[in-house]
Amino acid sequence: MRRIPLLLLLPALLTLFGCAHHKLELSKQEKFLSASPRSILIVPVVNKSIDVTAADYMLSTITIPLAERGYYVFPINAVKRVLEDDGLADSSLVHSAPTSKLASLFGADAVLYIIIEQWDAKYLLLTTQVTVAINYQIRDGKTGDVLWENEQKMVYSPQQQQSSGNAIADLIILLAQAAITKAAPNYIPLANQANAQALFKYPGPGIPFGPYANEQKNKQEKSN
Amino acid sequence: MTSAARYLCILFLLFSLIGCGAHSHTLYEWSGYDAKLYKHYKDPSNKEEFIQALKKVMDKAEPAGKVPPGVYAEYGFVMYEQGDNNQAILYFQKESDKWPESRDFMSKLIANVNKTTKNQKKNVRLPVGSKKGKTKPSSEVSK
Repeated sequence: MRRIPLLLLLPALLTLFGCAHHKLELSKQEKFLSASPRSILIVPVVNKSIDVTAADYMLSTITIPLAERGYYVFPINAVKRVLEDDGLADSSLVHSAPTSKLASLFGADAVLYIIIEQWDAKYLLLTTQVTVAINYQIRDGKTGDVLWENEQKMVYSPQQQQSSGNAIADLIILLAQAAITKAAPNYIPLANQANAQALFKYPGPGIPFGPYANEQKNKQEKSN
Repeated sequence: MTSAARYLCILFLLFSLIGCGAHSHTLYEWSGYDAKLYKHYKDPSNKEEFIQALKKVMDKAEPAGKVPPGVYAEYGFVMYEQGDNNQAILYFQKESDKWPESRDFMSKLIANVNKTTKNQKKNVRLPVGSKKGKTKPSSEVSK
């Protein structure tokens, strides 16, 4: 019975720890905040994994979280086609092109690069485990400077309903799954979860709110 | 530890997490846009399905004024690929009016469609949006 109060204290401690952590991370965001981009260009994803579908999953799921974060996000399909017509059909060619040239072609304030380092599915008896490692980087459209960077590493298993042994990890998974479309097929929840974890932890390693999210917030504050 | 206590702990954790940052409302009405895009990438030849999907997103989002960024442009681009230049310009213009950040790109696309319309009368098609293979660099961004 003595262990119970201690366990109840744990969330409070974690919250405190989280706050201190956030302050530290904030200083890392200064570059991003001073550049304060309004629009983000998403370029085709570089896939270093063995799963050929991974790049399409990442590319089709990244628009929603970025737009919901408050940024103008360029139409990824149209962007992809225009790049192809410019001789940049291969994503690694796009990634090695100067950021400022890509940005000026579309009039973008910043460019988001995604590299899939790992995407391995392990088929077990009752479930499938997918280990992913995804690198996100936002660069300034004028200078090409890295404004923000995050690497998301996780093990995902769609049938995970019970426990991974870590209550917080379980809850994050549950929350992320609740926030996605209900009838989404196979890897879309995984991609959504990776994106949510990479972008939304702010203050923290995520990205700050963009102009449209701020407008929405201001409106709410006025109406209250 | 009793299971009730464990349950309480988890509940407490859940609430603290929700308090931290979960938003229940969204800025835009997406109608499963991600899944639709993925389907289109998996089977790019099925343009009609993609067109219908984009229409659905717009129809659902427009009454609430929650059309997501890029959707009008995406629709305009498919219209352009289908050869419907008037619709293409209409939707590029809609994107441009709604999102000032898109103006540069949209005006380039509109200029391109206008050129194509002129050239179509002479039976020539410009490379932007055309099929792979027929490509020819149309701007300074090439390797």
